[in-house]
Amino acid sequence: MANAFVAAFEILSFGAIIVLIVLGLGIIASMMGIFNFAQGEFVLLGAYITYLAYAKGLPIWAGMVAAPFAVGALGFVLEALIIRRFYAAPIVAMLGTYALGLIIRESVRGLIGGFYLTVPEPIGGSIDIGAMHISAWRFTIIVITALVMGGCYLLLARTSFGLRVRATLENPSLARASGISTPLIYGATFAFGAALAGLAGALIVPVFSLFADLGLRFLIQGFVAVMVGGVGSFIGPVAGAGLIGTLSAALPWVMAPVVADVLVFVLAIVFIKFRPQGLIAGKGV
Amino acid sequence: MSAAKQAIPADIGGEAVVAMAEHGSAKQAAPGRKILPIVEGVVLVAALVAPLLLQDYLTVFATRVIILALFALSFDLVWGYAGIMSFGQALFFGSAGYGVALLARDLDITNIFLVLPAGTIIGLTFALLLGGFLLLGRHPSSVIFVSLGTLTGSYAADRLARGWYYLGGQNGIPSIAPMTVGSYEFSEGPPFYYLVLGILVVVYLLCRFLVRSQFGLALAGLRENEQRIAFFGYKAQHLKAIIFAIGGAVAGLAGSLYAFHEGFVWPNMVGVVVSTQVVLYVLFGGSGTLIGAVIGAVIVEGVSFWLSDNYREVWPIILGVLLLLVILFRPLGLISFVLGERERVGSFGGKSKATEKEKRDAAP
Repeated sequence: MANAFVAAFEILSFGAIIVLIVLGLGIIASMMGIFNFAQGEFVLLGAYITYLAYAKGLPIWAGMVAAPFAVGALGFVLEALIIRRFYAAPIVAMLGTYALGLIIRESVRGLIGGFYLTVPEPIGGSIDIGAMHISAWRFTIIVITALVMGGCYLLLARTSFGLRVRATLENPSLARASGISTPLIYGATFAFGAALAGLAGALIVPVFSLFADLGLRFLIQGFVAVMVGGVGSFIGPVAGAGLIGTLSAALPWVMAPVVADVLVFVLAIVFIKFRPQGLIAGKGV
Repeated sequence: MSAAKQAIPADIGGEAVVAMAEHGSAKQAAPGRKILPIVEGVVLVAALVAPLLLQDYLTVFATRVIILALFALSFDLVWGYAGIMSFGQALFFGSAGYGVALLARDLDITNIFLVLPAGTIIGLTFALLLGGFLLLGRHPSSVIFVSLGTLTGSYAADRLARGWYYLGGQNGIPSIAPMTVGSYEFSEGPPFYYLVLGILVVVYLLCRFLVRSQFGLALAGLRENEQRIAFFGYKAQHLKAIIFAIGGAVAGLAGSLYAFHEGFVWPNMVGVVVSTQVVLYVLFGGSGTLIGAVIGAVIVEGVSFWLSDNYREVWPIILGVLLLLVILFRPLGLISFVLGERERVGSFGGKSKATEKEKRDAAP
């Protein structure tokens, strides 16, 4: 019983981490049609900023708050300077964002060296429920993920900004004709996606520690999750991320980790092949 | 998604411009057509004399570059000609490398006439399986799906190779016995260099013949506008699967040579790192011209070798910046500084006539 509960918690917390990382990726892919290869590096930057704050003696949570804003601002600038040129060609966008990611990753690698740097958890210790202990920080991540998810949903579904974003997604020329500044919306969406990645990086760095390939580790899982969930909506990628995250955390409990690792990808690709529209095909939010 | 919708009108407009430009240049570009053979000749001569001028350790390095150029050629066939973004080309390269390494380790087979065909067939088989799965089917697959599918395949293979004890896990398979012909052993050095160069030249000529054939023209059409080619009655998916398999075979050949040259294989060889490496070569050099892929491999590897002594940390950053600049401002690669657009697209001595004839033939 206790073991099953710990397992369930592990699976849930890993699923939450994947959802958190995929949120930004999914928003950019769905709203803009770009598979952003630099997303992993935005995660890395968020983690790095948190580490910097910690290394400078500031409280860790200050770094965690600053990370999404800093990364979002960088995303806004990059969109205006570079990403904007790629909208017409999705493959070129992949290559261009890959180049961007390479620059960011190698710069960070130069700054931190080849080390694994640890950042302590801002909320340490564990929560005891009867005889079971679960990590307080991982629990916090689950809570924050749920809050961020709800917030994103409300932002896109209930606010006028969300309405304009969806209008731009649905029919850009009509949106422009209605007086919506689509370039600004694209910029804001990209910045928002980048900020989410920064937040994800800031939150997971105590769990995974900081190393240059931190973002790369999650990138392909993120892409697969977005494809499984279905591009074109907010809910799709989140559902895909939940599924992929849960599967990749759950399967190693029942089979050899190596097989499980590969099996998740194979299953996902087969699934996408036969259902290209993804889990949740509908438009909407 | 929305971007794709926006792109459609722009695309049509762009094509019209290109088409007009092509017609315009057809009249006056007659002297320009001869540049490609000159470039090819210069590269070949440079490659032939290189070992005479280089020190021994540099010849070893040059051999590696030639093998990687062969690998780049395989990616160029797939991306530069057919427009299939294969982010997992290393899967075929590496699996062939692992295959021949296992042959040498477990069965003591190192005869060059056995291992190279074996490597090629391994690459071909994997490419047929993956390409068949990703590209064929009732619904044509989206470009994004194919590129992410190949990327995922390569990543999954990397994880498998890392975790599988039989394949050596993280360390790969070290100290592979050298290739042999009878009792002669190919070790690093000029003989190996000329062997690899000979193979590269043969494969290059075969590819050159292939892309200049009717099949190659259809491929170039796929890259430019897949739908139109399908409307002409070509089975676009089959063409893609065929060229993908050929690309896989060439990558397999390169991979088996690489395994024997380096003397070991390790998980990175099937993984994302090498996959993206080959994309870099071809983008730098210029996709859609075979020689561009070769030159790209030589330049990227050469500069990285030259810089890695003093600027090891900075080099990947410079590489990223250069890549970004090339993508933004020179989408046809460095080769486009000397080579006109016309020589790339497939205007092989009067393209407009050939394509028109093709259209007539294909029309029901």
